[in-house]
Amino acid sequence: MKNRRAAGRGSRMRRRTSTFLGRVALGVLAALAGVGPVGCAGDETPDQVTLRVANWGSPAVESSFMALERQFLREFEQLHPGVRVQVEQIPGFGQYAPKLLMMHVSGSVPDVISLDASSGAAFMDNGVLRDLKPYIERDASFRLDDYFGNLVKIFRRGDKLYSIPLDFTPMMMYYNRKLFDAAGLPYPRPGWTWEDFRRTAGALTIRDPNPVRPPRQYGFNFINVMPFWVLWLWTNGADVLSPDGRKAGGHFDGPGSVEAVQFLTDLMLKDHVAPTLEESKAAGVDLFRSGQAAMDLKGHWMMIDYRADGIDFGVVDLPTNTGSPTTVVYLTGLSITSRARHPDLAWEYVKFMTGREVQIRRVASGLAISGNRHAAAHYAGNPVEDAFIAAVEYARPPWGATVERYPFIEGLGEEMLEDLLYSKGSLGVAAQLRRTAALIDAALSEP
Amino acid sequence: MIRPYRHNWRGYLFIAPATVYLALFAFFPMILAGWMSLHRWHLLKDEHPFVGLANFTAMTQDPFFRNAVKNTLAYAVFTVPLGVITSLAVAVLVSRPLRGVGFFRTLYYIPAVSSQVAISMVWIWILLPGEQGLINYCLGRLNAWLGADLPTSTNFLGRPGWAMAALVAMSLWIGLGPRMIIFLAGIQSIPETLYEAAALDGCGTWRRFWYVTLPLLGPTTLFVTVTTTIASFQLFTPVYMITHGGPRRTTDVVLYHIYKEAWQKFEIGMASAQSYVLFAMVLAAAALQLWVMRRGLTEQAE
Repeated sequence: MKNRRAAGRGSRMRRRTSTFLGRVALGVLAALAGVGPVGCAGDETPDQVTLRVANWGSPAVESSFMALERQFLREFEQLHPGVRVQVEQIPGFGQYAPKLLMMHVSGSVPDVISLDASSGAAFMDNGVLRDLKPYIERDASFRLDDYFGNLVKIFRRGDKLYSIPLDFTPMMMYYNRKLFDAAGLPYPRPGWTWEDFRRTAGALTIRDPNPVRPPRQYGFNFINVMPFWVLWLWTNGADVLSPDGRKAGGHFDGPGSVEAVQFLTDLMLKDHVAPTLEESKAAGVDLFRSGQAAMDLKGHWMMIDYRADGIDFGVVDLPTNTGSPTTVVYLTGLSITSRARHPDLAWEYVKFMTGREVQIRRVASGLAISGNRHAAAHYAGNPVEDAFIAAVEYARPPWGATVERYPFIEGLGEEMLEDLLYSKGSLGVAAQLRRTAALIDAALSEP
Repeated sequence: MIRPYRHNWRGYLFIAPATVYLALFAFFPMILAGWMSLHRWHLLKDEHPFVGLANFTAMTQDPFFRNAVKNTLAYAVFTVPLGVITSLAVAVLVSRPLRGVGFFRTLYYIPAVSSQVAISMVWIWILLPGEQGLINYCLGRLNAWLGADLPTSTNFLGRPGWAMAALVAMSLWIGLGPRMIIFLAGIQSIPETLYEAAALDGCGTWRRFWYVTLPLLGPTTLFVTVTTTIASFQLFTPVYMITHGGPRRTTDVVLYHIYKEAWQKFEIGMASAQSYVLFAMVLAAAALQLWVMRRGLTEQAE
């Protein structure tokens, strides 16, 4: 009796063990199969196609804009029965490009990706994307003239085109009208110079009675993000790299750059009309949004927050020493990957999302300006929007659109400025620029 | 009845999952990385020219890589002894049958099971300058109570020495739990009779610790030291999350440097070569410790 029970338990154990092993084996096989296309639709059948679309941002952040984006996807799916659009969001600042490039290498890259021109060179110059020219030539319903020529140009390589402009923003100077009124200052006007800016920022700074404490209000909000502060070089007629993008020596450490970085660090360390890095960190909030800084150099997307905060803001061209308006245009396009599984469907998606109707509804959120001229024109006629749209005519593309290692160079630049500011300027602007230019050249010269 | 070895095929089934896993995700990548380290291997280019040991020679000329090696060694030099001593001390404390000792053991172990990313976020908040940062806030309150004049705006993450010190402090706290558990197991396996004998010979608490606990924990200490050293060479997440290698590259450690080489410059070949150098560093450090401490242990046994 005792033995039989033991035997029975034994066989049950064995059965359990064998099913367990079977499951382990299945799991291993599944894992091996999954090494390929991660997140690829396993449920794909002849009459059910899944189009994979990559985007930045975090699925954890919910907003009315996200709801709108999902609405577009549903509309696209209704237009194309049997198609399911799967959006893959890639969160994390600076993670988007590396993750997608890794997916490209491993053969699991989505069909359509949002391309940030600032890291575009790595994609456009390495065969990650599909040339869209054949699609455009075949498709009578698509007109490339509908998009701003200055933006389309950024995505060209010879006669190949790698992306269709989705939306963009030039960087502009925002100002808080209420704080200007309180100080009795006129609003800044296009054509103002650095000297005007410095004076204005000084007049808008309100010191604390206790000199040890930081100012109660700053003239200008500064954060150490090179895509923003590189404009101080540009508006002084200087630049990070030579025009062909191959050399930093003689440019990043040239007299114009030295002057620009000196001016910038003086705003914080000498005039103290902008928060030091410590003060920004300690404040823990965006000082322009909290009404503690009167001016800020930002893009169109910040308008969503400013409006939500009820800030009465205006927008003006950047102060410049060159006599002509200068800014950068940060641009997003939609691209089809070279390893896309459904390129034709992907093209339909790109066309749909960049088309006039969708674009008008999409940019209503205030996120950016539409790359589609007709949709952008829809919002023309108010001074803020017009100031932004006017900038597209003279705005320059970011270096990252042509120089593959530019995101790395931006890291070096931010490191340099951080060192300078934390050292209270004692490291010397010219010396730091010379050192960093040499580092950039070393990074660029590696074959 | 013991069956001959060759008939025990079921045994292989049991180790198969682990073997397949290790082969695919550890050994194969290691061999591939070795192969890549001999090439100029851009992540996205189709051509991978063979360059022999050029990556390794270039590395020795690279001031930033040398700096990263220096930082890693500095981090290890502080983290390993401090980590071993603090966790041994805590293990001795929680090995006593005190009231609520289970609670404290759990408390010390919590960081080990928390996400390092979440921990990093908390530490950023602890270290911020001004009233936002917990440390500076507490100093400010102390000033208010005691009328003292302690500095309250220290930017721990912006000062070269402080940032590294912050990382070391953080690692002591994260690694405390696992090291403590191992020491605790070692302490509890020491026979009670030895302590009784020592007590009869007139040893006080301190001498019992010095002449009984510590020598018998020799193998445990060796294990903890070696694993702590390996872990300290692999510092990455807090650097990635908190300091980004700054300020002035004083926290740019080897693994973070490798990450940037691979994902910002796309130089997979160079990154692989640097990974092998890191591997050699870890191996050398572990071998040295094993050799030194084993000699100590055998001398003791004799």
